[in-house]
Amino acid sequence: MSSPSGAPAFSAGRISKGYKSREGVGVQALERVSFEADEGKITCIVGPTGSGKSTILRIMSGLEAPDEGSVRVAGVQPSDMTGRIGYLTQRHTLLPWMKTGDNIGLPLKVRGLAREMIKNRVREIAESLALNGLLDLYPYELSGGAMQRAAIGRLLASDAGYCLLDEPFSALDEKTLHALQRLFLDIAGRSRLSVLFVTHSIDEAVFLADRIIVLSAGPGRVVETFEVDMPHPRDRISPLFGALIERVRQKIESVLRDDAAVCGADSATGGH
Amino acid sequence: MNKTGKLINYLAGRVLPGSIIPFFIVSAWWLASRTGTAVVPGIAEVMRVLLHPFEAPPELYSRSIAFSLFMTLIRFTAGFGLAIVTAVPLGLLAGQSRTAERILYPVIQMSRSINPIALMPLATVFFGLASVASVFTGEMEAWKYDLADQVQLAMIFILWWGGFFPIFLSTLNGVRSVGAPYIEMMSLAGASRVQLLKNVIFPHALPSIMHGIRMGMGITWLVLLAAEIYPGTRSGIGYMLCTACKTSDYQYTFAAMIIIALTGLLLDWTIHHFEKKTGHWQTRER
Repeated sequence: MSSPSGAPAFSAGRISKGYKSREGVGVQALERVSFEADEGKITCIVGPTGSGKSTILRIMSGLEAPDEGSVRVAGVQPSDMTGRIGYLTQRHTLLPWMKTGDNIGLPLKVRGLAREMIKNRVREIAESLALNGLLDLYPYELSGGAMQRAAIGRLLASDAGYCLLDEPFSALDEKTLHALQRLFLDIAGRSRLSVLFVTHSIDEAVFLADRIIVLSAGPGRVVETFEVDMPHPRDRISPLFGALIERVRQKIESVLRDDAAVCGADSATGGH
Repeated sequence: MNKTGKLINYLAGRVLPGSIIPFFIVSAWWLASRTGTAVVPGIAEVMRVLLHPFEAPPELYSRSIAFSLFMTLIRFTAGFGLAIVTAVPLGLLAGQSRTAERILYPVIQMSRSINPIALMPLATVFFGLASVASVFTGEMEAWKYDLADQVQLAMIFILWWGGFFPIFLSTLNGVRSVGAPYIEMMSLAGASRVQLLKNVIFPHALPSIMHGIRMGMGITWLVLLAAEIYPGTRSGIGYMLCTACKTSDYQYTFAAMIIIALTGLLLDWTIHHFEKKTGHWQTRER
């Protein structure tokens, strides 16, 4: 799936976003963040807590508007892409009163497809995600990994070529995590999904991404962009893999150090 | 577990503990009736009444217990049914629209504190003896449709009053507590308002609605029995209880009380069953 205009899948142009805390104190979440993510590629955003990673996705989905700057999905406003942007949050939003199969088929139901067609498509998706046999269970009856697979299943059913994923695998054990990452890579490659993937795990970013965008914390700014051209599947114990992880880690740590230095200077002056 | 095992478990786990207090009450009743006061009928006498529900006692305008219960249940269904079909849609509306909530909420909070039984005299003045039958046929012809003529509008009104508020408020609460992520997910999928209501808001609110229905039912049941004592009533369990008291046929009073209690329990169990069934996902949600 490629956009007709040849525009990048996701682009952010100098977006800033601030929040007011309960006490009325302003908190700057993002400051002039710009980046581009290519069609059919996986772009990972990594950064420490408080770097506004999730905020970027909320803005990109159209759920929130930036204070300044603008975002485009496939060259148009997110609001013009309703139903074509998939959004997977850290805490899955499977509807607890609906059976897993109905949850996966929900986007198709919303689009008004015939029941028989929905059933077939859901069965196909379940097949590819090893969810057959679980379709008649409720989400609360599934394991954590199966729940996330079901959430991915719903993402696939929506047929959205543009996917936003917000730390979707962060609550899983390592074995399940690695299996899901491989599964996701496979699906994303096959369906030529354009993916913007937020994670705090450098390992995950290096394993999945074609491009890694590193953010600083409070407010979030883009500090570095890494292009990753290792072929998939990537070998976690290869020297190349380890070297890239090290480079990204050093970048993030240097940013954290700078921030700490600034904070230290602040408190020093405050002490006088 | 096999069927017999389940039954034994149920009897030992639920029925037995629930029977302890009734056992002592019946024992006290038995003792009281043996000492021979005029007001307390013997257990056997009351059982005889209960075991012949279709026998019309001459003392009570020849209406049987079964008919009395039937009339009471018809009134209950009319009044409480009306409460459900008005409170649920209004609750769904107020839960989704700030404007609707601002219009409805103060009025409802004020009205809620007026006891429906206290409204009975006023309702009688307003509605007179108008009944469901007289609405359709006019006052003069209403007597021809005896059943419908015994379902008085004043009574329906106060039953509605008793049932409406808990259902409305629970529905409102149920709608309010829908998590924003679900709504955002649906809007990103391009769902319409109706689809959002059907797939998310209503199913999410349903256990809460059921809870409101259960609470409203308890109140309505209380109100109904009190209302049937009012003048102008010619039937119903409440009427039977009251009339039997006046004519000192206390075995009917006691029988009526037992029926009221058992029916109340049965209604509560029924709704509780639906409450659990529709809310199966609530306790185990993660």
